[in-house]
Amino acid sequence: MEAKYDFEKKFRKQILQCSRCGFCQAVCPVYGATLRPGLNARGKMLLLKEVMDGNLPLDDQLTESLFQCTTCASCFENCPSGVQVPDIIKQARKDMVNVGSCHPAFEGMHKVLQKHTNIYAEDEPEDFERERNQKAAYVYFIGCVGSYREDEATLETLELLDKLRVEFTLIDEVCCSGVLEDVGYEIIPNLARKNMDLIFDTGASTVITGCPYCFRTFNNKPQYSEMKEKGVKVVHITQFLQDFDFSVRTDKRVTYHDPCDLGRHCGIYEEPRNTIRKIASDFVEMPDNRENALCCGAGGGVRGAFAKNSIAMARRRLEQAEEVGAEIVLTECNSCVHNLGNAKLRKQKFKIYNTTQFINQLMEEEND
Amino acid sequence: MEEKLVKAIVDIVGEDHFTRNIIDLVSYACDASEHCNRPVCAVFTETTEQVADLMKLANREDIPVTPRGAGTGLSGMAVPIRGGIILDLSRMNKILKISIEDRLAVVQPGVIYADLEKALTPEGFFFPPDPASGKVSTLGGNVATNAGGLKGAKYGTTRDYVLGLQVVLPDGRIMRTGSKAMKSVSGYDLTRLFVGSEGTLGVVTEITFKINPKPTKTSTALATFDNLEDVGKAINQIMHSGIIPSALEILGRETLAAINQNTDLNLPEVDAMLLVETDGYTQEETAYQIEKVIRIFEANHPQEVKQAKTEAEVKDLWAARKSAYAVLSRIENSSVLEDVTVPMTHITELLKGIQDISRKHDIQIATFGHAGDGNLHPQILYDGYDPIQVEKKENAIKDLFELAIGLDGTLTGEHGIGLSKAPFMTLEHDPVAMNVMRTLKRTFDPNNILNPGKMALEG
Amino acid sequence: MKIEQYNMPDDLYYEENHFWVKEEGDLLVMGMDDFAQTMAGEVVYVQLPDDGKKLKLGKKFAKIESGKWLGKVYAPVNGVLDSVNEELETNPGLINDDCYGKGWLYKIQPSDKSELENLIKGKEAIEKWVLADIEKYAEE
Repeated sequence: MEAKYDFEKKFRKQILQCSRCGFCQAVCPVYGATLRPGLNARGKMLLLKEVMDGNLPLDDQLTESLFQCTTCASCFENCPSGVQVPDIIKQARKDMVNVGSCHPAFEGMHKVLQKHTNIYAEDEPEDFERERNQKAAYVYFIGCVGSYREDEATLETLELLDKLRVEFTLIDEVCCSGVLEDVGYEIIPNLARKNMDLIFDTGASTVITGCPYCFRTFNNKPQYSEMKEKGVKVVHITQFLQDFDFSVRTDKRVTYHDPCDLGRHCGIYEEPRNTIRKIASDFVEMPDNRENALCCGAGGGVRGAFAKNSIAMARRRLEQAEEVGAEIVLTECNSCVHNLGNAKLRKQKFKIYNTTQFINQLMEEEND
Repeated sequence: MEEKLVKAIVDIVGEDHFTRNIIDLVSYACDASEHCNRPVCAVFTETTEQVADLMKLANREDIPVTPRGAGTGLSGMAVPIRGGIILDLSRMNKILKISIEDRLAVVQPGVIYADLEKALTPEGFFFPPDPASGKVSTLGGNVATNAGGLKGAKYGTTRDYVLGLQVVLPDGRIMRTGSKAMKSVSGYDLTRLFVGSEGTLGVVTEITFKINPKPTKTSTALATFDNLEDVGKAINQIMHSGIIPSALEILGRETLAAINQNTDLNLPEVDAMLLVETDGYTQEETAYQIEKVIRIFEANHPQEVKQAKTEAEVKDLWAARKSAYAVLSRIENSSVLEDVTVPMTHITELLKGIQDISRKHDIQIATFGHAGDGNLHPQILYDGYDPIQVEKKENAIKDLFELAIGLDGTLTGEHGIGLSKAPFMTLEHDPVAMNVMRTLKRTFDPNNILNPGKMALEG
Repeated sequence: MKIEQYNMPDDLYYEENHFWVKEEGDLLVMGMDDFAQTMAGEVVYVQLPDDGKKLKLGKKFAKIESGKWLGKVYAPVNGVLDSVNEELETNPGLINDDCYGKGWLYKIQPSDKSELENLIKGKEAIEKWVLADIEKYAEE
């Protein structure tokens, strides 16, 4: 039977490789929060197999499952058969969009990004008390979540960079649009062009980004390869910070949440911890950390499309923070900060920050 | 399904605990075996009363009901072969009580094995069976299949740890079996009837487990052999040594190769490797035991004998062993995992016999398993889309069962009969035994609605 | 009273960002109105600040989110946050189900109750304001 869809052309063997052992149920954040096997990696592979075998059409019926995945890759990390579930899901989503089936939230996001500069269709970001588009050695690229949902955290990060005397500028950035690749669409070329032009105009040799997603998009996607060609480096703020020393310390018990986009997707686990250990003497790990980190539930567009389940997933992660008695939960991804922040219960007294935000606060306290 | 039936079901469990969504049905059609059949609908119950009301309704209306936990069973016991309703118990997932002084834990069936372990660890206790699927499988599923695991030879299987159950019968009546006392011989041992009954006699809605203090120290060693005779001799001599290892696992050549392809362990690819663990409360104790085992290995022409030195090494070795099944399933698009078990004195014959079957039918069979209690796991790898290979697989399986029974063994040490092995029940059980089993089934479930079509119970 | 499809009780005070306010003994109760909850869609998160938080008239003190929208909540009067509707922590959808009843948001201890008179009140004023906003949002 001729393969009808791209997901089958590229991944047929993989999908068949799924031995149905169900081990992915142990780590899938969506399954953990909903207990619905149809939403788990195994369930998704079974659905795709039914499509390949001609028993099911690839249509709206499957949206709730195929579009509800944070692409955290915990399943792949733990799959004894090595099935690359996130890649398969992303391709299947593109196939679904091609046949006109997509989750309305992502269809909406795609429409928004054709007209607006960010996923929220908002017009004015905070000015963060500075001019943009200056000439500087570094560009700090905030990302949509940091600009429009976690502006307080972002302001603190920028203040920290000021205190460290980093010569950086903001730009009139637009959405990197990397998320579209994961939800059935593609990066929007004129958004990519705008970002790159603005970056090149600053003369900067390095882009520091606060958002792990933008970090991956700039580094991995061909639409941004011109940056590499022009010798512009892209680093994530945790990589940038690890060479700095800080004179502040905290006695509070601190833990670190690995964002999926920084951890499992980029292998960046130790840099953030190195920085935290410099400022915290009581650092503890949550039970599922590094490549086993439990996803906060925001990624892959799930926060926009399945918000309630997304927050339920974040709540599960915070139970682990409570378990280890953390007073401060640090991470370095605005999406994680946002989702975890929303999920935190009033009775949970710990605070959630980006590491940069927290360091800045300690320095402010010292100055007081 | 008639709308009035749908309404009756929704009245019992609530709208959001009922589904006919294709996304759910496709998952509920399958477990971890090669069998598949979609149910008409599925329900998630939260209380025993809901289970009872559902069974009453199903019994009255003649609707098949198939109970399900995590759906990781290997023989198809959770596959709804007659359609009907899937009864998903995974949301009944509370640990109700842990009493260290009474040495017991009371749990709902949807609790995941690993979550019970996590709750017991701070108390220094454990629930020994340790099935390889422990991170996902539910305790209800473990009870339904009398799950074994790596610790079987020393610690037994699930049935050795069930003190009592709460069960909903196929007609909806609720009953209790066993006792919270550590031992009881009051009335028939109904607990043991239900454990391993694969959800065909009743739905377990609460389990009281005996728990054990957990030995704090282990020693791990391995030995490789280039012929199966020596392996068999080594295994049998360990019996004479006076110690029982807490785990004694065997890995065959193909298994070792497959593990190497998926890890950095670089295990030697030999005819067989034995992986052994001894446990106790002091390192002296475990070292003493492992020394004895090592000496036995050394007396049987091993290629290499090695003791694991670091915690990381120990962790890696056991993780590799636990991944054997799914790692092997990367080789072909289909595989079937068997778990024939024979008395220990016949292990070598079984190992050799498996190799013969593989050659005879020209089909790949990789082997690993619990050498410590004679429970091997031959895994047959084949192309499920090639009818010739499928036929070879079926013939190989038939020979395998005949071989095991011929060696005084059993079709299944721990995975259960379900659908996969049902055609071979009469190979192992005499007509009287089969008749008694079928009579019991009819007594409990005269309308044959609870997990019908399994275990050759329909005669 | 109903203004087009929106239910806007005319005995409540309204803050211009579409929050209603009413008196309850010494306290004021605040919530989201029907227009806002309809526009927002399913509410998934309501920020519930600590009791005792100081509120400054016109200053943002909390936020509310639906899947796609973030709304800022501004203090309608000067005062102190007395208590919050804790049900919203695990069931924020109450705002959509019953925005004037079970979906209430915050209780405020006002410093000066007369500040209520600065809010929108009375059938005519409410109608004028809502119709204007309906038009404004229809353009977007």
